[in-house]
This record gives sequence, C-alpha cells and structure tokens, in this order.
Amino acid sequence: MRPMRSMFHDRRRHGVPSLNVASMPDLIFTVLFFFMIVTHMRSDEVKVRLEVPAGTEVKKLTGHPAIVNIYIGHSANSAEWAVQLNGEMVSPKDIPARISAVRSKLSPENAERLTVSFRADRHAPMGLVSDVKQALQQAYALKINYSATEISP
Amino acid sequence: MFRKRFRQQIPELNTTSTADISFMLLIFFLVTSSMDTDKGLLRQMAPPPVENSQPQDVNKDLVMRVELDAHDQLTCDGKPATLQELSEAVVSMATVNRTEHIVAVQADRETTYEAYFRMQDAIVAAYHQLREQYSQKHYGRPYHRLTTDERSLVNEYYPQRISESFTSDLSPQTSQKGGER
Repeated sequence: MRPMRSMFHDRRRHGVPSLNVASMPDLIFTVLFFFMIVTHMRSDEVKVRLEVPAGTEVKKLTGHPAIVNIYIGHSANSAEWAVQLNGEMVSPKDIPARISAVRSKLSPENAERLTVSFRADRHAPMGLVSDVKQALQQAYALKINYSATEISP
Repeated sequence: MFRKRFRQQIPELNTTSTADISFMLLIFFLVTSSMDTDKGLLRQMAPPPVENSQPQDVNKDLVMRVELDAHDQLTCDGKPATLQELSEAVVSMATVNRTEHIVAVQADRETTYEAYFRMQDAIVAAYHQLREQYSQKHYGRPYHRLTTDERSLVNEYYPQRISESFTSDLSPQTSQKGGER
C-alpha cells in the first residue's frame, strides 16, 4: 500500500475530470421542440382581466384559422366591464361589422366554420353577455365555444 | 510520437455554451406561447329571428322553464333547484318526450356568467348522460368511442332542444336555440 501522502498528491495532480455535456444541448432541444409542438403562439394581447368558469362537459376546440376570440373582463385599471374582439376593444354594437370584416378575409370553407371562442369572466353580468350574444346572432356567427377550464364531476 | 501528434490534430470543439443558447430559445418559447389549449362548451345558436315572424305555439306541458334570477338562484319550473336537480329534471324530461320537449332558458341581466355557464353545463351533462346510455345499449361502446356517423345518429336520437330568450334593455326578444350538431 502506498503511503497516504503520496495518494493525495496523485489525486491533486489529476484534477476533477470534466463532465461531458455534449448531449446536454440535444436534451434541451428535445424539450424545446416538445414545447413548440404542444403550445401555440399567443395571437393577440388580452387587454382585459378575466377568469373563465369551470365546467365538466368541456371539449377541446379545434379549427384554428376560423376562430374569433371575444374576451369579456375588467378593463386594465378600472372596474368597468369591457369587451375585446381579437386584438381590439369593441362595444357590443360594433361586433356584427367586425365579424363580417373577419369573415371576408377567410376562405369560403373557413367562413362557414367560423367559431367564436367566448372567454368571459366568471362574474361578468349576463346583460352584457347577452348583448354580445345577440350581436353575434345578428352577424350569423352562431357557433359559440364558451371557454372554460375542465373540472372532474 | 506520431500517435501523440495525430491526437492533437483534432481539437475538441467547446460546445458548453450550446446548452445555454438552447435554454434561451426554450425560455423564449415558454414566454411567447400559451399552454392553455382552448377548451370549452361548444353551443350552436339559432339564426336571428325573422322580422314580423309569429311566435310558434308550443304545448306548455313540453316546456321546462329554467330561470336564473339576479342572485344566481336557479329555478326550474318555478321551483328553486340545484344543478344536480336540474340535470335530473332534464334527463327525465328528455326521456319522456325525446324529440318534442323544450328546455327554455332565461337569465336575468344581473346574473353572473358563471351561474349561467354552470346551468348550460348541467343541461349538456344531462344530454350527455342520455346519449352515453343509448350508445352503451345499442353499440356497446361509450359515446366517445363511436364513429362520427354513429355519433350523429345518437345525437339525432336525443336532440338537444334548448331555447334561449334574451332579456334586452329595449324589448324582450326570444330566440330559439337549436340542438348541437
């Protein structure tokens, strides 16, 4: 057996072996691609504060290009209720015009499939909600998806 | 000697920072994308009412009136009800009169959206239960395992007959809400 001193000396000279991190970028790239696939880019900035209700019968919404987003929530720094369509704030009576503007940009098949993704705050009054719904009805945007989080029954 | 030199000719590329770069990309995507997939309750509205149209007469016995008042209290044919009771009422109503019953929904302007949504959810859950039963009985499979054709047959067998009236500021306007495809 070698004397103790010589053993330590030996180890110090070798130093800490460097860790091989060559595969690390590959790992992170895998995670990156995973995220790129499962998420989608935020199309418009939501200018209202809202919290969607929860339900048991919710389904996933598909058909991305033919979706119009409507948000109902508190406007940025007041307690007032505000309606946002895609990226802009609107009032319920402007909605039919906006919908037809959106529809004119879509292909005929997509215009037929047009779905409104309706994201309203839990505490939004039904008065405002039904005004918006009536406006949508006027614009023949009849497919509505009430956004909600899923809860188990 | 030769061997040693050969080894030194291929210097290793330092790839330590690649991880950092890809981490930055990852974080960028995490920030700019939204994880929340659009989930929700898909409903089909009726087309806008035609001007000067005569309201249709419907048998009162076939209509179930579901109302929400300003304090989010649910009433079912005039009696206060819970969501569970509403679901059960819709199930029994639709079982008795499959294709002719009507669930008439009305919400006060002061009702919160959540109460309204929970009510819609409960009604849809009732229909879902019926369709599930039917599909188990006739196809021996749960509803979500059926083919598209079979599913539309089941949907036709148990149509969702929900009528919704809006309480407008100006005049009460009624509109019929069709069944889900």
